[in-house]
Amino acid sequence: MKPVIGFDSSAIECTSLSPSAPIWQDILAQAMTGELLAAMNYTSLSEICDDPAEVADALEHAQGERGHAAAFAAEGRKIGVDVANNVDAKHWKRLRDAFLRCIAESDFIGCLIVQEIMLESFAVASYSRVGKVAPGSLGKTFARIAAEEEDHVEHAMSILRSERARDAQRFDDKVYRLHLDVMTTLAQMLAKECKDGHCEVCHASCVKPSLFDVSLSAAELRGASLQQYLKTLDMLGISGEVTLAWVTQLPV
Amino acid sequence: MGDSAASVARRARTIDVDFALIGHQESWRAAADVLAVLRGPERTPLPDEEIKDILPWIPPRAVCHVDVRSIAGAKARGLYIDSFIPPDRLEAAYVHENIARVRGAAAYAIQAGAKIVSLGGFSSILIEGNFNQLPERHDTVFTTGNTLTVAFVVQGIKNMCALEGRNISRSTLLIVGATGDVGSGCARCLAPIVRRVLLSARNVERLRRLAAELQADGVQVEIATDLERFSAEADLVICAASLACPSLLLGRIAPHAIVCDAGYPKNLSPSAEMLGAKVFFGGLGQITGGLRFAPDFHGILNRHPFPDVVHGCLLEGMALALEGRFESFSQGRGFITQERVEEIETIAARHGIYLAPLYNADGPVEDGLHCYTHGPEAERV
Repeated sequence: MKPVIGFDSSAIECTSLSPSAPIWQDILAQAMTGELLAAMNYTSLSEICDDPAEVADALEHAQGERGHAAAFAAEGRKIGVDVANNVDAKHWKRLRDAFLRCIAESDFIGCLIVQEIMLESFAVASYSRVGKVAPGSLGKTFARIAAEEEDHVEHAMSILRSERARDAQRFDDKVYRLHLDVMTTLAQMLAKECKDGHCEVCHASCVKPSLFDVSLSAAELRGASLQQYLKTLDMLGISGEVTLAWVTQLPV
Repeated sequence: MGDSAASVARRARTIDVDFALIGHQESWRAAADVLAVLRGPERTPLPDEEIKDILPWIPPRAVCHVDVRSIAGAKARGLYIDSFIPPDRLEAAYVHENIARVRGAAAYAIQAGAKIVSLGGFSSILIEGNFNQLPERHDTVFTTGNTLTVAFVVQGIKNMCALEGRNISRSTLLIVGATGDVGSGCARCLAPIVRRVLLSARNVERLRRLAAELQADGVQVEIATDLERFSAEADLVICAASLACPSLLLGRIAPHAIVCDAGYPKNLSPSAEMLGAKVFFGGLGQITGGLRFAPDFHGILNRHPFPDVVHGCLLEGMALALEGRFESFSQGRGFITQERVEEIETIAARHGIYLAPLYNADGPVEDGLHCYTHGPEAERV
């Protein structure tokens, strides 16, 4: 699959004079890639929905995510950097593939679990943290988008709670199966160091060691994301004892 | 141990518990061991640095099921809920954050339907004066567990005096942290049987009130906020304050004094300042009817040199659950009386919960002959 917005890391230059601009450039690139992947996921979801209201809902979400991606690109321009994206980057592609497997099975609930419980937990938590430390409109944009993503999750929660009420055992088994697939990839993405080579989104070397320069850290973003994920699973009613074991078994 | 997450899921879905125990890990080593069990033997343990990064983000939640059996035949099912207070944040600077964590753990216990909840270790210290900060309780009651802790501290002092051939009625007793719930409870129980009582704490007004109460019963009492003033005079010392370096604060104490570490965490050990002192960890009890963790956290959640030893504060909730008495037996600060101590001792003993063999950081301080060992009569639940 081609990147939604062309990716050529060698062509990406940072023209900003701010020493932190290259760091924000990479943070924005990861966020933009995530938003575009979410837009693709919602578009795919619309194709398996029977209910016209659900179709409209999914397409509206897809549009919203594209809007978020555009907002991140605009924030990059404000600080003098081009923001790349690469939905084919290795981790992001694996996440997309996991979602597409649910699509292939016409598994609407599975799609919601992957997108709303797993990927959005990561987005809400990491955008919130970035929103707290990023300067000016950059910080405000991250905080606003974090709040909007949280609204998505709220919307999906009611559907997922109803589904779990029908058969908790089956539902929890499905979440666990998807957890092994999706959260393992997310955990590798969120590891403090990228041990298996370049992530294919950062414009030069890995941004993680530089995050301290903008009052962030890879450990903090991972911790906040896992915490958000655990809290979201709690809200679904899955036993905290179970989800604790799930999370502690993830790779680091 | 080594349960797959899926099998844990099946077990945990039918939560129906009599009691819950709220606790936390005292050290990073203990936290690492807990996470290693959760990860399972097939995965490499998390590196220490990763544990320090991850643990502070874990919201309070159940770690395992705890089943306990009485020697009288009763059984009770429970949950161990960890507040995940990071071991390096067990201090006053983090009090608001830590209270929020205990509140989260309390909410979890309520949601799990626990009928009684024991507040273990630092949780008890945080909440004893802040019961109103617990969430709305519905059908769940909370106990700090401090009354059974006091019972075991007092029993430990008596046993240690007997072991050392001391006449307790001729002793001068110093209580450090005397105005706290455990300290004042120990003062009420032991003052009538020692020669003289020295009370030390930071709050003078509370010290005066406790001293006046004891003096009204004819006890010879002195108070001081300066601990060193008393240290050399006492031959029995109960350290009921949670201090980072209690041995430094204690300073010079009488040679061969008996010192009970009743604080949390247990961090008193024989030192240069306490040459010749007989130090033991107080407030610990042992379950003789049967104790089971699922997954198996034996020796990890209860890291003691003897089997099935648990802090008195946690044992109080288990004893009350076995007794079918779901009430806030220990609540607030400064209400522990000798009568209440005797009452909880009787309840605990009825179910085979007794004072644990005495030990300190160097190991057992008695031969442990009365120590319960796993045999056919001490069946695992």
